[in-house]
Amino acid sequence: MESPTTVEPQALEHGDLLAHDAVPAALISMRDIWRTYEMGAEQLHALRGVSFDVQRGEYLAIIGPSGSGKSTLMNLIGCLDTPSQGRYWINSKLVSEMDDDELARIRNQEIGFVFQTFNLLARATALHNVELPLIYAGISSAERHERAERALRNVELGDRMTHRPNELSGGQRQRVAIARALVNNPSILLADEPTGALDTKTSYEIMELFERLHEAGNTIIVVTHEHDIAARAHRIIHIRDGQIERDERVEK
Amino acid sequence: MKFIETLKLAAAAIWAHKLRSALTLLGMVIGVAAVVVVVSLIQGFNAYIDEKIANIGAKSYTIGRFSMDDFKDTDSIAAAQRRNKELTLEDFEFLKTRLTLTDKFAAGARPQRAQIKRGNEILQDVAIDGKQPLMGDIEKVDVADGRYFTDVENNEAARVAFIGSDVADKLFPNGDAVGGEIFINSLPYRVVGVRTAKGTVFGMPQDTFVTVPLMSYRRNFGALRNWRSVYFQGTAKDDKQFEDAVDEAKQWMRVRRGLEKGEKDNFGVFTPDSITGLRDRLFGTIFIVAIAVPAIALVIGAIVVMNIMLVSVTERTKEIGIRKALGARRADILKQFLVEAVVLTIIGGFAGVVIAWLLGIVVSMYVIQTYLSLGAIGLAILFSGGAGVAAGIFPAWKAARLDPIEALRAD
Repeated sequence: MESPTTVEPQALEHGDLLAHDAVPAALISMRDIWRTYEMGAEQLHALRGVSFDVQRGEYLAIIGPSGSGKSTLMNLIGCLDTPSQGRYWINSKLVSEMDDDELARIRNQEIGFVFQTFNLLARATALHNVELPLIYAGISSAERHERAERALRNVELGDRMTHRPNELSGGQRQRVAIARALVNNPSILLADEPTGALDTKTSYEIMELFERLHEAGNTIIVVTHEHDIAARAHRIIHIRDGQIERDERVEK
Repeated sequence: MKFIETLKLAAAAIWAHKLRSALTLLGMVIGVAAVVVVVSLIQGFNAYIDEKIANIGAKSYTIGRFSMDDFKDTDSIAAAQRRNKELTLEDFEFLKTRLTLTDKFAAGARPQRAQIKRGNEILQDVAIDGKQPLMGDIEKVDVADGRYFTDVENNEAARVAFIGSDVADKLFPNGDAVGGEIFINSLPYRVVGVRTAKGTVFGMPQDTFVTVPLMSYRRNFGALRNWRSVYFQGTAKDDKQFEDAVDEAKQWMRVRRGLEKGEKDNFGVFTPDSITGLRDRLFGTIFIVAIAVPAIALVIGAIVVMNIMLVSVTERTKEIGIRKALGARRADILKQFLVEAVVLTIIGGFAGVVIAWLLGIVVSMYVIQTYLSLGAIGLAILFSGGAGVAAGIFPAWKAARLDPIEALRAD
């Protein structure tokens, strides 16, 4: 196995070429992505050369057991992390070589996160939580309000805007999180175990909401270890030991 | 992210932990209050000296036998006593005919103590001095009742007296001092005027005095020598040329004394500046120390703020992770915590100023007039903000460089 660090200079030239001449047309494009962690003297390869494309409007599930590298992959897709090696484009933008601030901008504009534990700000109202991405996008307060209200109404929480997270049920909290994820019209809705903290009935409600959002044209990527959640998607990528084991289309 | 949003965020975070914020700020508040109180005491003290001793408002100069430098030590006093002759009325006439830049120019004589009597009422040890009528104008004497002397009264050595309000109150309890008769050393004088009360300066009463015309003083109390020696006071025709007027008087005085070029003056010239200069020399170091000590409280206050900001960053790691995931850049997070620290300390600064202001009112009522200038307030607020930056920058930087993945994983 070649060490990623020694390959880097060559890869950079290659990347430049691609950046100018062969920008992939897909919404998401990963090419030979490696993510290596240095654990003292040892190197731990969480991802070993992952490549795939996601087209606009796809509903994709990434499934794998714990330790498979799917969380690492999710962090990379969500631009919370950068690959040790390989090229990653979102919306024709090469994000694999961006610095922290550029990544923050991509997260703000292109990615809508939905987390297992919702990750809402406890002290803020539902409305303020949904407004957060718009604040960092520099949008004026009046427009922010209007857009956040619309996003909350879209997830049927029009009557819960001034509630704080602890005044909402789990399903409602996750819907606030979904409204927050969508409020800035991102390219991708990226959900990490979105039903992991919910009971079965609420899980189904959330999955139905995803279905609806997909039908409305959103691109959705769900990272999960639950097969029945993954089965809702139209395409499933199976990850094992840091590599893509299978990439299957689900006929509906 | 817009600044106003950062500001709102900071206010919300501070408001969310009201008690903690208040306790955190206690040190800052005490520090700022202490510094501001000391500064306003110093400024009050300076204003006091300017007004009561240097008589800044009157803008006059005084020529006397000794200069400020002569009082440096016992040797210099002894030397000056040998070298500096007493001033005389002949000196006064010599200068008066030659000064072109001086407007009003008058002579007075140092006071002596005497017994004052009216009926059965006797006042011991009252300071009595003699002044030319113009001195009233030069010193901008505030007449409460009656008038100052006239030239005629001075020339005739009339037995008239201008008295302090304490003397008037004690000898004329019914308030009918003007026109009344008092006895000084058994000689009757008619009271022509009473001065407005001035209170005390450094605990010394200012209103127990009697002034008589200079010529009456000479006739009834003896030659204007020794402790009764004369001094001159003058004002400039144009306040802008005050320094020139002083210099002119000094040069003519040197001519009068026949001093060679380069020879030291054998007389003294006092200006308001020379008195405030002396004050600054004497008290400058004390003032610096007096400000530095409470400033330590401010530094400790800032350290407390830093400590709490560090705790706050640790506590809010998850929040930082969420914000980063949603698109907050490092600068946004840095600003958020920095502005929070600065807003916090500026609130502390304001609270400190308010407390200092209240303390100042109390001190002014019972001890000494304090003076709280806008400059001092501005400086205190600015300094608090600076302390906020100093205390907030490291915690904010720690927050900004948190890895979003790690931060999201925090509880």
